Amino acid sequence: MFPLIATTALAVQALSLLVSAATITLSIPPSPQIPNPASLPPSTHATLTALGASYHAPLTVDNTFVFRNVTPGSYLADIHSPTHGFAPLRIDVLSATAGENIREPNLSNGGVGVERGGENDLRVWETFHGNNWENKGEEIRPVAVGGAFPVKVLGSKVYYTERGAFSVLSILKNPMILMGLVSLAIFIGMPKLVENMDPEMRAEFEEQSKKNPMNSLMAGPQPGASSMGNFDMAGFLAGQGSGSGGGSREPEQSSGNGGKRGGKK
Amino acid sequence: MSGKMYLSFQALSLSVLLALPASVRAVFQDEVGHIDYHHELLGVPQRETTFFHRPRTGEKASLLYTLSDLGVLGAVNPSNGAIVWRQLLAGNITDGGGFLRAPEHETWLVGAHGSSVSSWDALTGRNVWFLNSNGMVKDVEVMEMTERGGKDVLALYQEPGATITRRIHGTEGHVVWEHKDVNKDIPLQVSTSLDKIFVVSLHGSLLSYSLKVIVLDTLTGKKLDEIPLGTKNEVQKPEDVMFVGANSAAPIVAWTDNTMAQLQVNVLGRKTKQEFALPADTTEVEIHAPHTIQSSPHFLVHSRTKSGNKADVFHIDLKNSAITKAYELPMLEGSSAFSTSSTGANVYFTRVTDNEVTITSSTSHGFLGRWSFKPGTKKLNTLHGVSEVIKKAEDSYAVRAAVVTDSDDWIQIVNGEVSWKRLEGLSGAVAATWAEIPESEELARTLEAEAHSNPWSAYVHRVNRHINDLQYLPAYLQSIPKRLISSIVGSESTGPTDEIKRDSFGFNKLVVLATKRGKLYGLNAGNHGQVIWSRKANETPSGRHWDVKAIHADNIKGFVTVRGSEGEFIIVKSDTGKTVESMPSSLFPPVNDAVMVDSDAGPWLLPIERDGKLGDVQLAWAPKQTVVTRTGENEIQGFRYVEKEGLASAVPVWNFSPPAGQHIVNIATRPQHDPVASIGRVLGDRTVKYKYLNPNTIVVAAIDDKTSTLYTYLLDTVSGEILASSCYEGVDPNKDITCTLTENWFLCAFYGQYQLRESQDQKLKGYQVVISDLYESELANDRGPLGDAVNFSSLDPVDMPTGPAFPSVVSKTFILSGPITSLAVTQTRQGIAIRQLLAYMPESHSIIAIPRILLEPRRPVGRDPTPAELEEGLSRYVPAIELDPRMTVSHTRDVLGVREIIAAPAILESTCLVFAYGVDVFGSRIAPSQAFDILGKGFNKVTLLGTVAALFLGVLGLGPMVRKKQINMRWQAPM
Repeated sequence: MFPLIATTALAVQALSLLVSAATITLSIPPSPQIPNPASLPPSTHATLTALGASYHAPLTVDNTFVFRNVTPGSYLADIHSPTHGFAPLRIDVLSATAGENIREPNLSNGGVGVERGGENDLRVWETFHGNNWENKGEEIRPVAVGGAFPVKVLGSKVYYTERGAFSVLSILKNPMILMGLVSLAIFIGMPKLVENMDPEMRAEFEEQSKKNPMNSLMAGPQPGASSMGNFDMAGFLAGQGSGSGGGSREPEQSSGNGGKRGGKK
Repeated sequence: MSGKMYLSFQALSLSVLLALPASVRAVFQDEVGHIDYHHELLGVPQRETTFFHRPRTGEKASLLYTLSDLGVLGAVNPSNGAIVWRQLLAGNITDGGGFLRAPEHETWLVGAHGSSVSSWDALTGRNVWFLNSNGMVKDVEVMEMTERGGKDVLALYQEPGATITRRIHGTEGHVVWEHKDVNKDIPLQVSTSLDKIFVVSLHGSLLSYSLKVIVLDTLTGKKLDEIPLGTKNEVQKPEDVMFVGANSAAPIVAWTDNTMAQLQVNVLGRKTKQEFALPADTTEVEIHAPHTIQSSPHFLVHSRTKSGNKADVFHIDLKNSAITKAYELPMLEGSSAFSTSSTGANVYFTRVTDNEVTITSSTSHGFLGRWSFKPGTKKLNTLHGVSEVIKKAEDSYAVRAAVVTDSDDWIQIVNGEVSWKRLEGLSGAVAATWAEIPESEELARTLEAEAHSNPWSAYVHRVNRHINDLQYLPAYLQSIPKRLISSIVGSESTGPTDEIKRDSFGFNKLVVLATKRGKLYGLNAGNHGQVIWSRKANETPSGRHWDVKAIHADNIKGFVTVRGSEGEFIIVKSDTGKTVESMPSSLFPPVNDAVMVDSDAGPWLLPIERDGKLGDVQLAWAPKQTVVTRTGENEIQGFRYVEKEGLASAVPVWNFSPPAGQHIVNIATRPQHDPVASIGRVLGDRTVKYKYLNPNTIVVAAIDDKTSTLYTYLLDTVSGEILASSCYEGVDPNKDITCTLTENWFLCAFYGQYQLRESQDQKLKGYQVVISDLYESELANDRGPLGDAVNFSSLDPVDMPTGPAFPSVVSKTFILSGPITSLAVTQTRQGIAIRQLLAYMPESHSIIAIPRILLEPRRPVGRDPTPAELEEGLSRYVPAIELDPRMTVSHTRDVLGVREIIAAPAILESTCLVFAYGVDVFGSRIAPSQAFDILGKGFNKVTLLGTVAALFLGVLGLGPMVRKKQINMRWQAPM
């Protein structure tokens, strides 16, 4: 008795409710971004829009969106979720009976998700907002099982900005602070190191340090060391000799600032 | 090929994201709940569609479900009153009605509204199935017993000339069978017993109906029998039939006559009816019965009279269907709400009165439990409720009852104590306005007195007042250390206080909200939108809604005026809600709208009557401005007031109607507070483009349905002249078209699908926004035909060969990633901070603030911006604007059904207060140009002080060391 009821039921359904209307099913497959689509909030839904038409489908327990009675046309499909962003789709319903002839062989097994196939009647591509409508992205094929078209997750939505929190580590990571700390260590540690050296080494070291321009800086202004007075720290760090740096700086500077000067006229 | 294209698209959308200027600032996580507030609402629960239900059979916990009068289906956690999930059942906000049923021991609920029946997972709120059809759903019932073992749904539809009953598969949603009865009857309800299905309909014509019961077979839907029930003209309209029971061993149908003297009850399937007398002066009868098939066939008749309530409990004999009265619950003064709860065969009736909660078993009249409210509890005035009775021990029961009160609150009472209260009355708001907190009257009066007396006595008075104020000095001095510490630690109270007082930042303001149920609410925006007063403002006949046409706050007097469509108005105090003046409906002519006008007697709210007519007014009250009204569906007229026989009467000076075929869809006017900080825009090359700043402008959007073309007109409201117009092809007339106008720009949002004019093979589809900037001249450093003239008249022609001073319009169209509605623009005190476009995203349920700089019409097309343009903040034009979640003001909050967004300036120039209402109520503060005049939460005073102290210690410690080293160096012999 039971199978008989089921068949009459489906015949009734096909006749009265779904004549000349396509059914489109989109599904959210598990993906690295959404390992468990069942955790998506219930306010997730999908819309189909075209000039003079719009359809709305809530998220079902099977993680799908089912649009029924869709008339032929070219539709923009958007999936709206508070937690994740999804790629928009272009869905073309080519014939009014998309889904109907496919429904026949499925009569015996219940009637949900019956729009399998539909290769000729229903085509789905990825699309992008603000692009030429004919510029289609990758075509999406229905997954074999339910005939649903999988949708692509772009990523989870970020609503908040991080406030720049204060932490001692972030200060220490600053290169200027690191440089300062290193020079502080040298400043304090060097004399002690020098004291502990044996006299020969020490003499050699002092001979060398006379040539080193850093020394004059560390020792403060000294009457004899006038040649080091215009030492360019930045140039030294950039690996330039102090002598050649002075000559080549001028043209570089003017070209670098050209735009800004022009703007201030 | 396609893959390559996809890559380029990706790169493009990435560039869009990168193009977001730095001024796009999302909400900080620590500001959530501090600067914003949200009343998450469902709407007022309806009696027939509210119940406790266990979403999973294995678990004990039940949830409270309701389909509200706004069409929101939601589940509420009964332990704390928080929303578990909610859905708009019909996809949009409805006007009451609908059906909701939950089968026992199943995981789904079934709801219906309009022409759709849908099933939802009871725990997760996910959709199970959806079924749309042609007819209107008249009733939905769950079929508890099926041959398959599961449960099915019965739906009753009305189609023109036919009554259709469908049995729908419970978990799969397809039609198992349908029964079509071609007749002109009015289907009322469908009901089931164990083996039969009963369709109850009204047969006959208006005022003389008789009841007809059709009996159907559960397996095939074949008609088994038809039973006419003579009602002797007692049933005059469908509402006269009070109740059709379902899912009971013996379902009944009950009705009363017009005088409410007798109750007629028929057990479905029988041809006889029984009569029971009702108490004298009964005004309303409700019948409560359990909805499970295993429950005892008992029911309760609740009779409501003008002064009190009583109930009678009846039993049905299953063998002979005889109905006998078992006992009665006495007549009690005040309000009472009855509800049923059943476990197994036991049926309990809960009664919530003004001072106690009682439970009785359906078999005997003895109280199983009785809890009195604490003395001093506010009178509840319950309208209806639902309850859940739990038997704890042999003789001990617990009950929780969720009742809807007269003030539209939803309150749960557990064993006589209020466990939570949901302010559902705030939902369904139709109008709201910002109001300043009235200043202390005493100080205002003193200051006024000083201003009006002679200088010397004013001076003496003031010195005396200040000396008098000295008594507060010690308390003030004492509070300084505490305030200093709290300021450093960061616990200072710029935030909420219970006191309703103005603050120095201007964040504490009031919002007065009017709902369609005729209630007024006063909310304190400075204290998380807390309701400070609520009151009934308008007696609306049942089924009708308060159609508020205008709401206006007078901040000088501290009054708020609300005008309804039937000519009624009410003036209340904004801080207490006390009535200052009120006028019931129908005494004054019905109004279409009301506008603020200036007159010699001060500003006032001028009512505009139906069809845009303006009444005569006293000379002193004559408006000084041109009043623009909509005189017809497609006509706008401008009126000026002229003296006529001692009165001022309105004379039309211009009219505007769009060409034939177009109809007006939206009119945008300037906000009342629209300050402009600068009359020009300085470009990158230091030239200036002068803004076209005409305060008398409106934007009219009209659409031609046949050609799907949208026309926008910028009108001068003084002369009625069209200053600018444009048309957009391929605009969907069925989707929202909204416009807004401020400063020197306006924009319209719509859904468009068209081919580009420049390249015919390019087609576009999507939600779009068109923004137009108005400048005095196309050229920079040029003020157009008016030059530097101080005065300007819309009526006088400009003596220039180029003709009248039309603005130069620069427009751009952008495609948005989703629809936006309820447009508004941020307002700041001086208009120095940049503006943001506020909009509701109906698909994402959030409120977004789109920076003006993203929507800049001067963004260069097809090339990268020059350095000068970069300096202006212009980025390369890309047609798509991704509505970035970081732009949402409401961040992760789910703000449902926003009808309008209102903005108000704070005292701080950087900050704008935002308030959105509709189903939910949401408010926040936004800083369009960043919070440049206030230290945010990110400013850590402790760290600042700590850093200063650490530096100081460092200097103290290193100083001697450096000094010692330098001295040593000098004393060492040069090597």
